Amino acid sequence: MNLLEVDRVSRYFDGLAAVDDVSFAIEKGDLVGLIGPNGAGKTTLFNLISGFQPLSGGTVRFSGRTVDGKKPHAIARLGMSRTFQNLRIFPNMSVFDNTSVGAVGIVGQSGWNAVFGTAARAETISRRSWAALEKVGLASVAGDLAANLSYGKRKYLEIARALAMEPELLILDEPAAGLNDSETAELAAFIKTLNAEGITIMLVEHDMTLVMGICRRVIVLASGRKIGDGTPEVVRADPAVLEAYLGTDDA
Amino acid sequence: MSELSRRNLTWLCLLAIVFVVAPAFLAYFDQGYFYQLSTLALIFALLAASLHLVTGVSGLLHLGQAAFYGVGAYVAALLSINYEVPFSVGLPLAGLGAAAVAVLVALPTMRLVSIYFAVATLAIGQMIYLVLLNWVGLTEGPNGLVLSSGIEFFGYDVGARIGTYFVVAVIVLFSLWVIHRLTHSYYGNALRALREDDQCADAMGIDTVRLKVGIFAVSAFFAGIAGALWAYTTGYISPGDFNFANSILILAMVVVGGLGSLPGAVIGALLLILLPEALRGVGDFRNIMVGLTMFLVIVFVPKGLMGEVSALAFFRSRFASAWQGGGGGKVGWR
Amino acid sequence: MIDPYYLQQLVIGLSLGMTYALIAIGFTLIFGVLNVVNFAHSEIYTIGAFAGLVLITAFAPPLAIVLFIVLAVGAFAGFGLERLAFKPFRRFSDEASLKSRAMRESTLMSSLAMSIIVREALTLVFGSQFQQVPLASLINQPIAIGPITIVSGDIIIFSVAAVMLGGLQYLLKHTRIGLSIRAVSDNPTGAKYSGINTDRTIISTFALGSMMGAVAGILVGLYYGAIFPAMGFEPGIKAFVAMVMGGLVSIPGAVISALILGVSESMATTFVSSVWSGMVAYSFLILTLIFFPQGLFGGGRERV
Repeated sequence: MNLLEVDRVSRYFDGLAAVDDVSFAIEKGDLVGLIGPNGAGKTTLFNLISGFQPLSGGTVRFSGRTVDGKKPHAIARLGMSRTFQNLRIFPNMSVFDNTSVGAVGIVGQSGWNAVFGTAARAETISRRSWAALEKVGLASVAGDLAANLSYGKRKYLEIARALAMEPELLILDEPAAGLNDSETAELAAFIKTLNAEGITIMLVEHDMTLVMGICRRVIVLASGRKIGDGTPEVVRADPAVLEAYLGTDDA
Repeated sequence: MSELSRRNLTWLCLLAIVFVVAPAFLAYFDQGYFYQLSTLALIFALLAASLHLVTGVSGLLHLGQAAFYGVGAYVAALLSINYEVPFSVGLPLAGLGAAAVAVLVALPTMRLVSIYFAVATLAIGQMIYLVLLNWVGLTEGPNGLVLSSGIEFFGYDVGARIGTYFVVAVIVLFSLWVIHRLTHSYYGNALRALREDDQCADAMGIDTVRLKVGIFAVSAFFAGIAGALWAYTTGYISPGDFNFANSILILAMVVVGGLGSLPGAVIGALLLILLPEALRGVGDFRNIMVGLTMFLVIVFVPKGLMGEVSALAFFRSRFASAWQGGGGGKVGWR
Repeated sequence: MIDPYYLQQLVIGLSLGMTYALIAIGFTLIFGVLNVVNFAHSEIYTIGAFAGLVLITAFAPPLAIVLFIVLAVGAFAGFGLERLAFKPFRRFSDEASLKSRAMRESTLMSSLAMSIIVREALTLVFGSQFQQVPLASLINQPIAIGPITIVSGDIIIFSVAAVMLGGLQYLLKHTRIGLSIRAVSDNPTGAKYSGINTDRTIISTFALGSMMGAVAGILVGLYYGAIFPAMGFEPGIKAFVAMVMGGLVSIPGAVISALILGVSESMATTFVSSVWSGMVAYSFLILTLIFFPQGLFGGGRERV
């Protein structure tokens, strides 16, 4: 069964199509890249899938269930988690607390339970948070204020927070933005490891080296339409894709 | 000294001051004025703590807390006067009444974004105040209400002085403990996520609207309790105690003490209640002191008195106990 | 034929609404330029009233002179307020910080604190009771027009407000300072890079808005004969509601909403006691916030 099905999805703003009749499917275990030039509609598509913007047309199915119209938190609880392009960590909380927010959203913890209940849920949340932190390598700075982390570490913090949600599908929004070549290589290896452990991953990216390097499949968007879908080799050679990227220096 | 025992020591000190030192002082001087003052300080400490929950921790700027304080006071007073409901029943009912009003108010307004929500709370606070002031048939309007009985347990009147102080102290301290547990938990982390970035919190699976309505109601509950305490201890309430100026006073306490810090909120309350009294000699400058203090703090010490200190200690304690706990023992977060 | 009583209420409502409009413009201008609510604006209104009163009791000059001097006092007070309560928070002059949420909440609270200080200071100096306003300067001489009776104040308020609104329009559309105000409202960083002195523009905006608020204060004070330190609170809230109804950044929207509010209020007082007049404004506010997020006139509202 497909994990994520995007079916003829569209989004219009004042008659202008930001996303126009896009369809694709992602299977469990996939490592997919979503690329396209600036203004292609990647972010909008992403927002449509994760429930941040309403669909103008089409439907999105996740784990077989229709998710259009669902709130972002409901979709998150179905097993979809994400990071943000402009790094939205919680600056005034510690690294550990940041990560735990991912877990508490999924596991749940009520106020009553917090005051008078048992520690069962708290332990689950702790366990998940530590596991996520260890996976990204930030366990040693768990007590540090998130605002004090370097840019690169913040990226990993966001990923940790998303991992604490124990997602089926992890969507990374431009994870390589602002990283240099060696950092990008490290990130690439890390993403591959995550995928090998069973997490389905979709990368929304600009950076061609990252996407072409690790993704087994690449979907290309331009002007709101899908213009390519296949392995990196196929997509790289596709004339339509090349034309869309003419003028960009990336490949 | 390990983190855990340091925290226990702090609590112990607090308990000692409230239950041993202060009563000894009060009994020694035995003046009605001091009793009133200490009760007032405790009540406002609770009020500041209740606002801290919603504004300091969750980041919802709330300009109408005095209205819920008033709802609690009037519920307690009216129940006592019209139905002879005793303190032990009237107190929780006052809290629940305030919470119910809060839910009613929060449901339509919770989707409003920060500043607009603040303005909505201002309007709602004012509407409640207008009702308290002008619906004379229900509330006797500006004349206020005189309660028929003080704090009684099964017919036993605890008496005006030391007894009342202890009852108030126990209730306030227990409430503060509950609020402390609420915020020092993973639930508290979810609340803080609301403050930091509520859209992002939504993406993390947190039902932000439900959480906001919930904490708003809890905050109102405690404000209502404070109101009932006020009604029963002073025996007389009038709408003037629950207007916008009082909402701002409570907000000033939280701001001065440091947003996000419970001890800060309590200290802010004590400061803004006791300092003007201590400076009574300065006469009518008291009110201006509130504004001045708030202003100076915001401009020069934006994180408030305890903002920096408490934040540092907060994170250190998280790291220490969580790391040492290793997930096996009590991590401290609930 | 409409009952003359209601016509009368309409006129009263309109002049009341005009005073709200003058205050609302101050809110709107400042919000447009700084994206913050100036909580101390109501106190500028009060300062205007007190300044006028002091002037009248000392020198009893003609109304026009009083208004001019109050204009000056208002501008000066606005300038002072901006320097004290708003400038300290603009530590970095980039757009993100100019309109950031933390800055907005800090200035909301600092202007709140400022308003407390001003109000209490006035109470300290003048006492909290209604001030004695010399009877001769009250502007409530009745004037009969056909079947209805209005007062001189209605005409004065209307004409003064009309002149000020016209002047403001002209300033905004045809002068350099007006252009810079509109530019900074639209895009502070862009304006800065175009060479516009944002600091000076912000000061001018405060001065302009405060001038109008102060004049509203003295006019209302003379109309009702009621001048006291807390007088700014209720009109301030109502003007704020008008701003929100108007879509936050639209001056015509704010003016029309203010008039609607004024008329609704005066009509409502024919049915219920005037102590409930505040309810009208608060209800409008809640309804607008919930059901008309773009304001009644679609001015749009910025996502925080």
